Amino acid sequence: MPPGRRQRLPALGGILQAWPWVLLLLALLAVRLSKGAGFADAYALLSRPFWPGSAQGEWLRSAEILNSQTRLSQLELDNRRLRSLLQLQTGGKGMVSAPVISRQPGGWWQQLVIGSGALQGVRPGMSVTAPGGLIGRVASVTPSTATVALLTDPGSRVGVWVGRIQRHGLLTGIGTSRPLLRFLEKDPGVRPGDVVVTSPASTLVPPNLTVGVIQSVDERAVPATDAVVQLSAPLDAVDWVQVLVP
Amino acid sequence: MSQLTRHRWCLATALLVPWLVLASPGPLKLAGVAPAWAVLWLLPWALVDGPLSGALAGLGLGLVLDGLHLGPISEIPALALLGWWWGRMGRLGPPIERSFSLGLLALIGAALVGGSLLLQSLLAGGWPLLPALHTWLAQTLLTALLAPPLCSLQLLLWRRQTLGGRS
Repeated sequence: MPPGRRQRLPALGGILQAWPWVLLLLALLAVRLSKGAGFADAYALLSRPFWPGSAQGEWLRSAEILNSQTRLSQLELDNRRLRSLLQLQTGGKGMVSAPVISRQPGGWWQQLVIGSGALQGVRPGMSVTAPGGLIGRVASVTPSTATVALLTDPGSRVGVWVGRIQRHGLLTGIGTSRPLLRFLEKDPGVRPGDVVVTSPASTLVPPNLTVGVIQSVDERAVPATDAVVQLSAPLDAVDWVQVLVP
Repeated sequence: MSQLTRHRWCLATALLVPWLVLASPGPLKLAGVAPAWAVLWLLPWALVDGPLSGALAGLGLGLVLDGLHLGPISEIPALALLGWWWGRMGRLGPPIERSFSLGLLALIGAALVGGSLLLQSLLAGGWPLLPALHTWLAQTLLTALLAPPLCSLQLLLWRRQTLGGRS
């Protein structure tokens, strides 16, 4: 550049002519700052007809279920091994499936009669589960049938565990469809919705079987807090049960 | 006396009682409680066949039902007493045929059976009072409601059998 010559500023008219490009630049900056908003949404809108259908979703769900089942089996194995190391009661060897042939969940006797008995290996004292969780224990057997005393029966007493508050309690049948959970201390901090499982320390029933959910709590009960438990297994509708062989 | 027991098939109808107890049909329940089927069978039987047969039938039914149920409480005392009482009533008084009378007798019978179970349960310490009262009332009411149609039919059948036996 020759000395003494003044540098010229771009003409205002030129800047005004370039406004669409400035606008585009600003828009791209906005895209950058919003992490691709607009572009991604537009792509989603346009590609929606080609999205994975319900079949792919089912495959994924099946894979997830399989994964969960595998993890559950593995955890059960680990749990059994650790419990045997601690010399606690283990989950058991197997189970006997049996149909319910007589159902008396109400009245003076709260019991079920199932179509498997001594010939199938069922013995008094064995735990009985249904879809949903524990429902009772075998009270008597004949060669081909067994009578199950339900958890709602007034003679039923089972040690249970509330995991959220880490407290033991005694589940007692009172003749209604919802048994009573009696805690050992006055203020255990239990609240409706807490899940109740069989006690890990119980010698009568296998540990960690789902029993039900706390429905209401009576903190004024004497000598310790009581709670009403809604059983998770539907006693009025259960058609098949499984007897857990220890 | 004991003319019905000569007909074996009449006695075999008592098997309906444990069958109904085990089957426990849902439509014939009130608030989840089944009627006292033993009372519904025993009432016409004892009215027709006398006190000894009634008491023995009550004893037999009680033994079977106690075998089917869990726990230490028993229906035997109440059923045997009812069989004897209804048998005496059938022998000594005028024939009982009216639906109201049958319903009332069944109501008293079911109340007695339930009351006996209630007392035994309370003594055993298992049942809280309120659920036990609910069961007792529901069973008594339902038995009384079912008695007129069922017991009338059985009375008719048993009386035909005994009249046929005399002729």
